[in-house]
Amino acid sequence: MSRSVSAKRLAGRAALYVGALALAAYSAFPIYWMIASSLRPARDMLTDPTIIPRTITFANYHSLLAQTDYLNQFLNSLIVAFCTVLLTMALSIMIAYGVTRQRMRGKRIIISGMLCAYMFPPLLLAIPLFSMLNGIGLADTLLSLVIAHLTITMPLGVWFLWGFFKTMPFELEEAAMVDGCSRLGAFLRVVLPLSVPGLVTVAIFAFLLSWTDYTFALVMISSDANKTVPLGLASMVGAFDLRWGDIMAGATLIALPLFAAFIALSRYFVQGLTAGAIKG
Amino acid sequence: MTHWLLPGFLSIGALATLILIVGPALYAISLSFYEQQSLTSDPVWVGLANYARVLASDEFWNALWNGFVYAMAAIVLQVVLGIGFALLLQQPFRGRALLRGLAFLPYLLPTVVAVLTFKWMIDGSLGIVTIVLDTLGLPPIYWFETESAAMVSVILVSVWLWTPFVTTTFLAGLQTVPVQLYEAARVDGAGPVRRFFHVTLPALRPILIVIILLRGVWMFNKFDIIWLTTGGGPLGATEHLPVLAYRQAFTLFDLGSGAAIATLSFLALLVIVTLYFWLFPMDDKQ
Repeated sequence: MSRSVSAKRLAGRAALYVGALALAAYSAFPIYWMIASSLRPARDMLTDPTIIPRTITFANYHSLLAQTDYLNQFLNSLIVAFCTVLLTMALSIMIAYGVTRQRMRGKRIIISGMLCAYMFPPLLLAIPLFSMLNGIGLADTLLSLVIAHLTITMPLGVWFLWGFFKTMPFELEEAAMVDGCSRLGAFLRVVLPLSVPGLVTVAIFAFLLSWTDYTFALVMISSDANKTVPLGLASMVGAFDLRWGDIMAGATLIALPLFAAFIALSRYFVQGLTAGAIKG
Repeated sequence: MTHWLLPGFLSIGALATLILIVGPALYAISLSFYEQQSLTSDPVWVGLANYARVLASDEFWNALWNGFVYAMAAIVLQVVLGIGFALLLQQPFRGRALLRGLAFLPYLLPTVVAVLTFKWMIDGSLGIVTIVLDTLGLPPIYWFETESAAMVSVILVSVWLWTPFVTTTFLAGLQTVPVQLYEAARVDGAGPVRRFFHVTLPALRPILIVIILLRGVWMFNKFDIIWLTTGGGPLGATEHLPVLAYRQAFTLFDLGSGAAIATLSFLALLVIVTLYFWLFPMDDKQ
C-alpha cells in the first residue's frame, strides 16, 4: 500500500519535471534559436545547423551595422520611446490625480473615454491621425509617431494610475497641507514620491508599447531616415538578398534591452499585468 | 492660490483626450462619409456610399469571418495553455522562479521579432522546423501557400506571444484562492481534477472573465501579426478586418473605405463585447 502511494508520488514528480522542461523549451527555444542564429557564421547556417553553434562569431552584427541603417533606426526608436514615456507619465499622472481628487460632474466620462479607447482598433485611430498630421505637415516625422503612440499609452497610464490613486489615502495630502504645504507642494512632496511604483509600471509599459510598435510606424513613417527598428527590420525581409543571420542579429538587439529591463524590474511587469492595464 | 492645480490638471487632461482620442475617432467616422481620390485631393461627401460598397463586397464578410475564426482559436488556445502553465508554475519544484521568468519572456518580444524568428525557423530549406520534419521523414509544410496552414501559422505565433499574459494573470489569481477551500475539498474526497473545477475555477471566474475579454478585444484588433506573417494571404485566407482596412486606406489609397471598415470593425466589436457582458455579467467590484 505505502509502496504504491510512493510510486504514485514519484510518477507525479516525474510528470511535473517533464511538464516544466516542456514549458521551458516551448517558451525559450525560439528565443534561444534567434540568439544562436545571430552568432553563427553564415556558412554554418547552410551546412551545419547544430543546436549549439560550433563557432561563435559577431560577423552578423558587424555586417548588420555596416550595411544597414540599423544604428540610426535604433536611435529613432530610442528617441520615440523616451518621448512617449515622458509625455505618457506627465499626462496620465495629471489626469489620474485630477480625476481622483477633484469633486465634479462628468469626470467619469474621462475614465470611460479611456476605457473606450482601449477597444478602438489601432487603425481606427491611425487612419485619421495620419490624415490629420499629413494635413499639418507632420507626416513622416518622429513627432507624429510619438503622438500616435500616446493614443494607446495615455489611456493605459490613466487607467493604471487611476486605480493607484484611488487607494492612496487623501489624509496624507491633507496632513501635509495642514502642516503648511500648498496643494502643489503636497502633490510634489507627498503624492509624487509615493506614486513612484505606479509610475515605474506605467513607464515600463509605455516603453514596451512604443519600442515594439510596428503598426503605427508602418502608417506614419515613410522615409528611411525616420524608420524605427521594427519597421526597418521588417523591410529587410522583403529585400532581394535574405540574410537571416543579420536579421536575427537585429532581432536580438531589439529584444535585449527588454530582457534586461525585465530581469531588473520583473516585479513591476507582473504588477502591471495583473492590474489588467496592458494592451498588446 | 492653490485652487488652480486640480482644474489645471483636468483641463490639460481633457485637452489631451480631445486631441488624441475623441478628435481622431470622430474624424475617422467623418472620413468614412467622404470619398478621397488621393491623399492630396479634396474629399467629396458621398454619404453612406462607402458603407454600402464595403458591406456589399465579399472581401468584408470574408475578413469578418476570418477575424472571428482567428480570434476565437487564438483565445481558446491561450486561455487553455495559460491556465495549464499557471497550474504547473503553482506547484513547488526546483527552478520554479526561473521558469516563471522564462515563461514570461515571449510576451516581451516585439511582434516583428517573433514573426521573423518564426519565419526563419520554418524557412523552406534552412529552417530548423523544416530540417526536423525532413529528418523525421515527414512531408514539408507549405506554411504560406496553403490556406489552412497560413491560418494555423498566424494563430501559432499569436498564441506563443500572448499566452504569458494569461499565465501570469491567472497565476497571480491562484495566489488569492484561500488554502482552506482546497483543504475542505480534500477532506471531502475531491481529487485534483474536481478541486480544479469546483474550487479553482469558480474562485477565479471574475479574473477569467476579464482576461478573456481583454484578450478577445486585442486579438480582434491585432493588425501587425497577420500583416507581417502572411499579409492576409494566400488569396485573402488570413485577411481580417484590420488588414483589409489597412489595405484599403494605404495600398489602394481609399481612406474613406478604410475608415468605414475600421468603424464597422469597431461596431462589430462593440456588439460582441455587449453580448459578452450580457452573458457574463461582471461583479460590482470590477
